Amino acid sequence: MRFASPKQSAARRTMLRLQLTSMIDVIFLLLIFFMTTTTLSSPESRLSTGLQTERDDSARAADFQPQVVEARLVDGAPAFVLGQRVFRDKASLTRTLRELPKEAGVFVRVSGDVRVEWVAGALQSCEDAGFARVNYVPAK
Amino acid sequence: MRIAPDHSGERIMDVDLTPMIDVVFLLIIFFMATAQFARLTKADIELPREQGETQRAEEASGVVINISPAGELIVDGDSYSLDRVVAMVKVELKRAGGAPGALDLLIRADKDAPASVVNTLADRLVEAGVRSWRLGTEPGSGGGA
Repeated sequence: MRFASPKQSAARRTMLRLQLTSMIDVIFLLLIFFMTTTTLSSPESRLSTGLQTERDDSARAADFQPQVVEARLVDGAPAFVLGQRVFRDKASLTRTLRELPKEAGVFVRVSGDVRVEWVAGALQSCEDAGFARVNYVPAK
Repeated sequence: MRIAPDHSGERIMDVDLTPMIDVVFLLIIFFMATAQFARLTKADIELPREQGETQRAEEASGVVINISPAGELIVDGDSYSLDRVVAMVKVELKRAGGAPGALDLLIRADKDAPASVVNTLADRLVEAGVRSWRLGTEPGSGGGA
């Protein structure tokens, strides 16, 4: 006849009780919190530029003929202006800017009568064209 | 003489969850507080839809100036006059060391805000010693420009 050892019978009687209810409550609360807050903020990006004024003489002397991109009203509608050329969309401005020398950088001047999206459009075109030095010059 | 251990009573392993729940609640309060802070720093405005920079510079904590569609200047959820905003920037610039590129300045302007507000602000910021800024955009397919 084989008898159970005292150790085996003790193990059978041992009970492990964990109160998990409160932990699960908290974890669900956290999950709901993160699910609701993550929808609040949409991803954002940046367009870094230098800032200069037209009366900044030291900067003007240091820069050798940079390109000047303007955004202003032409015939009553907003447009980008590069020298004598007028661009109604950002893609054509970017294409033209890509062919220009980049060493001297580019100045962006935006007239006060257009909206901010034209500021961003002009800066984005310069970025896409490969200009490393982009300066924003506030128009008077 | 060898005495056998007493196996007659039940052994219950009690795990004290109170400190963990305390910490988790502390975390919840922290995240709620920071979420509120982020909401105040970033006003609910519609940014220009542009891809932004391909090579992102190191993000540093700095001043965030929001510009509403009507041209209001909003900092930390409150609307301020141009003079007050420039004064705040001067204080932050001084705190950052005073060097022209020391301050990380983010302009979050609504896409429909007039550029004249951006121009006036830029003009005053240059006078205050700011030499660079970042314009906030929202990546997405093409804007109106």
